[in-house]
Amino acid sequence: MKFLILLFSILSAVSAFSPSFLGSKLSNGLSNVPSSTCLEMKYTLVLVRHGESTWNDENRFTGWYDCPLSESGLKEAQAGAELLKNEGFTFDVAYTSTLKRAIKTLWIILEENNLMYIPIINTWRLNERHYGALQGLNKQQTVDKHGKEQVLVWRRSYDIPPPALDESSEYYPGNDAMYANVPKDELPKTESLKLTEDRFLVEWNENLVPLIKSGKKVIIAAHGNTLRALVKHLDGISSDEITGLNIPTGVPLVYELDEDMKPIAQDDAIAPLTGKYLGDLEKVRERIGAVAAQTK
Amino acid sequence: MFSVSKSSSLLAHRVAFTRSFAGARDKHTLVLVRHGESTWNLANKFTGWYDCPLSEKGHVEAAEGGRLINDAGIKPNIAFTSLQKRAIRTLWHVLEETNRMWIPTIKSWKINERHYGGLQGLDKQETVDKYGKDQVLTWRRSYDIPPPTVDKTSEHHPSNDERYADVADWPEEFTESLATTLDRVVPYWESEIAPELKSGKTVLIAAHGNSLRALVKHLDGIDESEISNLNIPTGTPLVYELDENLKPIPQAGSFLPLTGRYLGDQDAIRNRIEGVKNQTK
Repeated sequence: MKFLILLFSILSAVSAFSPSFLGSKLSNGLSNVPSSTCLEMKYTLVLVRHGESTWNDENRFTGWYDCPLSESGLKEAQAGAELLKNEGFTFDVAYTSTLKRAIKTLWIILEENNLMYIPIINTWRLNERHYGALQGLNKQQTVDKHGKEQVLVWRRSYDIPPPALDESSEYYPGNDAMYANVPKDELPKTESLKLTEDRFLVEWNENLVPLIKSGKKVIIAAHGNTLRALVKHLDGISSDEITGLNIPTGVPLVYELDEDMKPIAQDDAIAPLTGKYLGDLEKVRERIGAVAAQTK
Repeated sequence: MFSVSKSSSLLAHRVAFTRSFAGARDKHTLVLVRHGESTWNLANKFTGWYDCPLSEKGHVEAAEGGRLINDAGIKPNIAFTSLQKRAIRTLWHVLEETNRMWIPTIKSWKINERHYGGLQGLDKQETVDKYGKDQVLTWRRSYDIPPPTVDKTSEHHPSNDERYADVADWPEEFTESLATTLDRVVPYWESEIAPELKSGKTVLIAAHGNSLRALVKHLDGIDESEISNLNIPTGTPLVYELDENLKPIPQAGSFLPLTGRYLGDQDAIRNRIEGVKNQTK
């Protein structure tokens, strides 16, 4: 009891300094604190991978190409949105990439959850891994041209990127207004999962972690490889294991993090992740297995 | 302290963004869009800060507005909107149609619709029946006479909505007139929006009838007596070209007293401007 009184007096003293943020948010944080372990803060972070895009449908290497969600992808986003709503999730800030398939997924979630008014940060650092000179190519044609083994290496190697594209290419980000504010030397001409991870972690460390630690509830709507980078970092997954890990599209993945941003174990998590998927876990398990089988 | 690091990191995003546009052009483009019809417009209720969605028609209007902006070749670099979903959703339609979903969007209560005080949620006709046509007309169209207030026991008081509770020191009794709306819109324009324009960005604002009235009154120096009756058609993009001091440059085809020019079928727009006047019950 004394502990609780001490906690309350500390928190109310702190909230007096910045009433605009800490006042209401601390009461949310407090509701996460079990009465038996008073000083443990727990932060909730929700991740969602966008659904099927029109280029997934066409079996083309997408990367940074800005194609929209397919009809099916829109439905997946809606289903994910409803799962979050049913569990009563709320968010204070949303993070997403500059690519419309992730942004649209986020918009659908915010609309369904009556949270359209929260700030949204768009950053290229959350973009899908850039596919270099393979962007735009049909996957099967690429296999026919380079051989199955080589393409598999480019797709699933941790640190071997596909061939770089040229600055004259339409897919070179330096030619896109979307990236006008990004220094040219930071823009990729190709990426491996490792390079994707490196540039994503800059955003994680500089901006996302402070935001989460301040008590803001964050939702991240992003892409297969950036979310791989994030869960690899959170769960300490090896480079070998991460390239084969599949995060099902449109299914919210919920992490509980401690004050050191280490994940707290949860029941029903599917290893190697400590994050917990929402929804029908049998179906999720099947989908995780099914995507692995898609590798041509 | 969180609020410092967050604002400095967001500021870093925006400063980096602003720098690339430094060396302003001679002319700055500002696009205003009033949100499309809402479900409460349809239900003929005083809306104000109540957060109702767009109606079916409102969605169509907003998407059409977006197409017009796209067809005009205007490419917004940054967008501002309110904290109300009917404006945000309108903005999202525009961003989708113009293929600019990735641009930074800043949301602020300062460009919310005028708060309707104690009238919020009431049916317009019932209110006329209760208070009389003249009184209601005064509350709706007076420049500086606000409707009756709400206090903190009311669901409509900003202190009872988590998105507003901590952003300002709300008085016990709250309501707004067009005058007080302007008092919050114009300083926001000066401190947040004007610098973006001056840095060379094309700015898109998706907002509400009264917050846009406040803004055009300021831009075009429109008289208090004239502004209350000025109608800005919903979902119809209104394009301003501003000089380096952000003074509007006259354009052919604008409908006085505005120097901004509407996009779309000009005859239909003229009819709509006239037509809304007749709605005043």
